[in-house]
Amino acid sequence: MTDWTIATLARAIATRKISPVEATQEHLTRIERLDGRIRAFITVDAEGALAAARALETELMAGRSRGPLHGVPLAHKDLCHMAGLPTSCGTRTREYFTSPLECTAVARLREAGAVTLGKLNMAELAMGPFGDNAHHGDVQNPRREGHCAGGSSSGSAAAVAAGFAIAALGSDTGGSIRLPAACCGVVGLKPTYGRVSRAGAMPLSWSLDHLGPLTRTVGDAATILGIVAGYDRRDATSSRRSVPYYEGMLETAIAGLHVGVPENYYFDGVTEEMAAAVRAAAHAVEGLGVLVTPVRLPDPQPLVDVCNVISRSESAAVHARIVRDRPHELQPAVRARLETGFHISAHDYLQALRLRGRLTREFVREVFDEVDALVLPVIPEPAPVLEAVKAGTTDEIVARMGRFSRLTRPFNGLGLPALALPCGLAADGRPLALQIVGRPFDEATVLRLGHAYEQATAWHLSPPRPSDRGESVLD
Amino acid sequence: MGNPERLVGAEVANLAAAIERAAADLALAEEPAGFTVALEGEEDERRD
Repeated sequence: MTDWTIATLARAIATRKISPVEATQEHLTRIERLDGRIRAFITVDAEGALAAARALETELMAGRSRGPLHGVPLAHKDLCHMAGLPTSCGTRTREYFTSPLECTAVARLREAGAVTLGKLNMAELAMGPFGDNAHHGDVQNPRREGHCAGGSSSGSAAAVAAGFAIAALGSDTGGSIRLPAACCGVVGLKPTYGRVSRAGAMPLSWSLDHLGPLTRTVGDAATILGIVAGYDRRDATSSRRSVPYYEGMLETAIAGLHVGVPENYYFDGVTEEMAAAVRAAAHAVEGLGVLVTPVRLPDPQPLVDVCNVISRSESAAVHARIVRDRPHELQPAVRARLETGFHISAHDYLQALRLRGRLTREFVREVFDEVDALVLPVIPEPAPVLEAVKAGTTDEIVARMGRFSRLTRPFNGLGLPALALPCGLAADGRPLALQIVGRPFDEATVLRLGHAYEQATAWHLSPPRPSDRGESVLD
Repeated sequence: MGNPERLVGAEVANLAAAIERAAADLALAEEPAGFTVALEGEEDERRD
């Protein structure tokens, strides 16, 4: 199951080597066998998934195919509203979020033939980069038991890495798709702000929220993006731009592109092993004909402050009711971060929103006049030990959260497309990861670079494996 | 462990000071929607 991709499974289904029902049943069996330890799922919808698979199988028998997702089993973060299933958003409340209509991105995947296996575990209210959850269990890193899966889309990354689902949707407000993808050794794409509708998904911070795919390969991320991207009248921020055929652009040569490797901030405090792997990845891309040069980026600190003011203010507004009525239900670090938002003035919030426009304009002009994309780390260290990230006082935990997401958060503020993908393994087997950032709405270049790098290496083929001490959750 | 109220107050004060510094020379015409223009304008500029 860990070897399938959308591309290979779609081929197998199309040539009748495996049926949608068989593929779905195999995934459900694996979830049943292993998820008690990994805790990737909050809700498994076996009945609904098998019913959908049977209907899709009937369509196939009648000669009708919906395309590359026909019969492919997926699962999604438990902040996406789906008809008939509860949406806890990682809280103790079973149905925390409701919506009159299904999450647009999920509906588009379903329409394209995907089978939905269930709803995936996540950090409470999508607030936490490590994947721990006091209500639904800490998500274990399938590559290394006892280590973080990353968050907040922890279950999405763990499910893809563990072979529970071929791909998953996650959300990203400060790194929540890319951080778990990096920790678990899978691919995660945060598209440009406005590229994918967030309608029907729990908001955390309207100005910074993005939905996007977690997959095993860059090609699969291109497939999913091509389906979920595009204008949606239910999301006022969704862009009216046409959606390129991303899959068709993957093989376009990357020779002649110019990639920048930041010489300030983004390698500060990054472990030697991680920094070396990212620099080696840049070197590998250079070997494919790309011009790679160091680049000095605008100071990210004002942007980080802007993001913090916006995210604290908006999340406190969205989730005011649970903080005021049932604060005892919230994990202390989540409650502390929400409470800050009640004390930020309207003046500071508006100034932050005004500043964001200027900072984005300056960044795009200064950086992308010079280079086509940036290559940098996603996380400062490989997936840390779960117990270690939960230790200490609330303010220590909150500060630790900020440090772990400091390489991803600026790109939420800037709204730029950012791709996380595997670029090696640490000596003890924990995944190392690379981040590729591009111009607004230029997911195509980001995906092309990632795909070319992936084809030139084999890190995406490294399945979860037992370490020397047998510490992988999977066997 | 620190006093939670004091910590919230300190964080808010730090954020307010940082925003005030950064916004000191913002143009009068700068508005929140400038962010969307910065993103959406990029393709048009490259097409020209």
